[in-house]
Amino acid sequence: MENSKRNALSVARIESLLLNNKALLITIVLGAILSFSTPVFLTQTNILNVLRQVCVSTIVAVGFSLLLGSGNIDLSVGSILGLVGIIMGELMLLKVPTPLLIIIGILSGIACGLINSAMIITFTLPPFIVTLATSQIFRGIGYVITNMGPILGFPDDFLFWGQGYIGPIPTPIYIMAFITLLLYFIVNYTAFGRYAIAMGGNMEATRVSGVNVNAVRYGVYAVLGGCAGVAGLITTARVGSSQVAAGVGMEMDAIAAVVIGGTSMSGGNCKIFGSLLGCVIVGMVNNALNLLSIGSTWQVIVKGIMILFAVLLDSVTTKLYAQREKRV
Amino acid sequence: MGQTNILLMEGIKKYFGGVRALDGVHFELNTGEIHALVGENGAGKTTLMNVLLGSSIKDAGRIVFKGKEINFKSPADALASGISMIHQEIRLIQQVSVAENIWLGREKKFSKFKVIRYKLRLEATRALLKELGLEQIDPLKRVNDLSVAQMQLVELARAVSYDSDIIIMDEPTSALTTTEIEQLYKIVRNLSKKGTAVIFISHKLDEILSLCDKVTVMRDGHTISTFPCGEVTQPELIRLIVGRNIDNAYVKSARAAENTGEPVLEVKNLCRTGVFEDISFSVRPGEVLGFSGLMGAGRSEIMRAIFGIDAHTSGTIIMNGKTLGISKPRDAVLAGMAMVTEDRLRMGVLHSLPVLFNTTIAAFKSFCTMLGLIKTQREMQAFRDIVESISVKYHSPYQKANQLSGGNQQKIVIARWLLCKPDLLILDEPTRGIDVGAKSEIYKLIDQLAQEGMAIILVSSDMPEILGLADRVIVIRNGRIVYECLHEEANQETIMSHAFYG
Repeated sequence: MENSKRNALSVARIESLLLNNKALLITIVLGAILSFSTPVFLTQTNILNVLRQVCVSTIVAVGFSLLLGSGNIDLSVGSILGLVGIIMGELMLLKVPTPLLIIIGILSGIACGLINSAMIITFTLPPFIVTLATSQIFRGIGYVITNMGPILGFPDDFLFWGQGYIGPIPTPIYIMAFITLLLYFIVNYTAFGRYAIAMGGNMEATRVSGVNVNAVRYGVYAVLGGCAGVAGLITTARVGSSQVAAGVGMEMDAIAAVVIGGTSMSGGNCKIFGSLLGCVIVGMVNNALNLLSIGSTWQVIVKGIMILFAVLLDSVTTKLYAQREKRV
Repeated sequence: MGQTNILLMEGIKKYFGGVRALDGVHFELNTGEIHALVGENGAGKTTLMNVLLGSSIKDAGRIVFKGKEINFKSPADALASGISMIHQEIRLIQQVSVAENIWLGREKKFSKFKVIRYKLRLEATRALLKELGLEQIDPLKRVNDLSVAQMQLVELARAVSYDSDIIIMDEPTSALTTTEIEQLYKIVRNLSKKGTAVIFISHKLDEILSLCDKVTVMRDGHTISTFPCGEVTQPELIRLIVGRNIDNAYVKSARAAENTGEPVLEVKNLCRTGVFEDISFSVRPGEVLGFSGLMGAGRSEIMRAIFGIDAHTSGTIIMNGKTLGISKPRDAVLAGMAMVTEDRLRMGVLHSLPVLFNTTIAAFKSFCTMLGLIKTQREMQAFRDIVESISVKYHSPYQKANQLSGGNQQKIVIARWLLCKPDLLILDEPTRGIDVGAKSEIYKLIDQLAQEGMAIILVSSDMPEILGLADRVIVIRNGRIVYECLHEEANQETIMSHAFYG
């Protein structure tokens, strides 16, 4: 009897471990399948390649996790990313030195986030609609500034942020690691992070508890804006030019990765490493399609299927979780 | 007068978990009878009607309607069989016209080949309103352009249009002015003449005695008795409505009359137009101030305004001698107030968050460094200390709060505020929906906190709770203070009679 009790306990523990870390599980299973089926997968070059490809989406996704966790949404991140790239391009044409240009670029990303939240808070509008509108506006400003053409001619010290290496590892991977750790720290070890998650759990109750929810809201949008700014830097430096279409659809990639990573769409929890793994999963699948010589046209369909899969997974595990809790 | 029995409910029982909402209710209704149903909040009136209409399933008993035993599956089912209900809250579709609302779901009546003939419907609506003497309501007007009183009359018209045998009215006069109330009485009397039976739920005893034929008193899930209205007086009714003995679950230590200290909170002429008016009172350290009154009297609204959840139109709030400009809960918290809200789900618990986060959220700044970094160990220690001191039952600090029982959720919300060490704690219906065990623990806690010198405002609809715990009682009726007394002078009859008719 002792034994069966212990077994039941460990089964429950394994269940909850799996439900809590489904992204890690998927990563391991997918990684194992890929290493067996395509020998190239496990080489150092290929792994670094995958990681470099997911840098931009990961940086946006970790910022997005905090935002979704706080019960908000931002459909304009892709446009912010694009706009930041263009602002950096214009500053470069004005011969602004690179460090200053990068700082202004990221600050303008933060400013975009603050504009979004200011609109939402001041006029009490739904975030979905506000950011849908600003995504058009931010994108449109980029079109107007550039007249739809790319901006070329970045200096090497700028390109370093997208194309350079420190040791054997590409620079963007360091930036990704830094931003991910930073967000993990914010969420788990700062009052601001805690308030954000509380707000996602129950905004009214958080307000009644004496939390300045408006300030927190400004904060989460600013953080995401900053992340979009950094992502804009890497994207621009990687391709070596400001592109008007940079970051199109980025918000959807981010949402997909965040949900795969276990953060709830309705707020109240936030899994930063989960979002990182979510991006890695998407990256691995794309990589596999490349290795199997399946064209990039198919990748779009596969991405769509993965988003569906992610949402399905979210709802199924939530139900499983609820059932499990009933048993306890 | 040729009245025949149309409805018989006997031995009706309904349990919610372990709570007996209805415990063997007996209720009879004759054709053409206007029958009042009275009782305190939570006596079981609404549950009884829900059971009749099929929106709640009874656990025992039988219902005989027009000579046949029935078990409605839903209110729609009941409506089709001839029982309609007017709810306390307006259930009209705001964006469409009066005529569309009245005939919603019955468009077939006016349709040819599935196309609604608006003219026929309009005529039918005009005829209906005229019959009821409600010509002042334009059938083409959109509902959200009507006054609340007119909306209620439209609800009435809709209920009548079903030609039901029984119409249930839940507090139908609460939003009406005197002339409209007269109109409603006339309609009800006409219905009764035509043989329709009316169940009239109301707190207004004077209106019941002048309008109704019979009155049934409910208390604690029982029907206490039924009288013809001519044979009973208001004071007798009140005694029957409250009449129960206070048990000893309430602890109240003999706090020396320390009511000499400076008041913690002083409220002067607080107003919110249309909700409450001219509210002035003060609370001293170590004092439990009880707020009594009927549901909807405005008690919670007053507390919410003091705490900054709702706005107030005028008046002064003074805390520890300082006049406060309160516009949001944060202002109140910084001034040393804490409030356990009535609406635990919406304004209390952070549902999907860990118990730990739920407990520390309000005092969170004290577990952080200047830069806003969390002192994790300090937080955990404070959490463990406080939940132990008020004996919360939980599995792990990271368990989600919505997995706890109602009583433990409430304790978590109280613990959240205790960590702030407030000077004033406002408790709005702190024991509603909580099991008996947790209730008595919360009572002990209230007493203990008061002894330690905290000022406490206790809003409660539970009369014994107020009588057992409060040093002083204020009664609110229609948004005004109508009565105030000390613990020694407080008794249920006086408090109830003030709550009912000032």
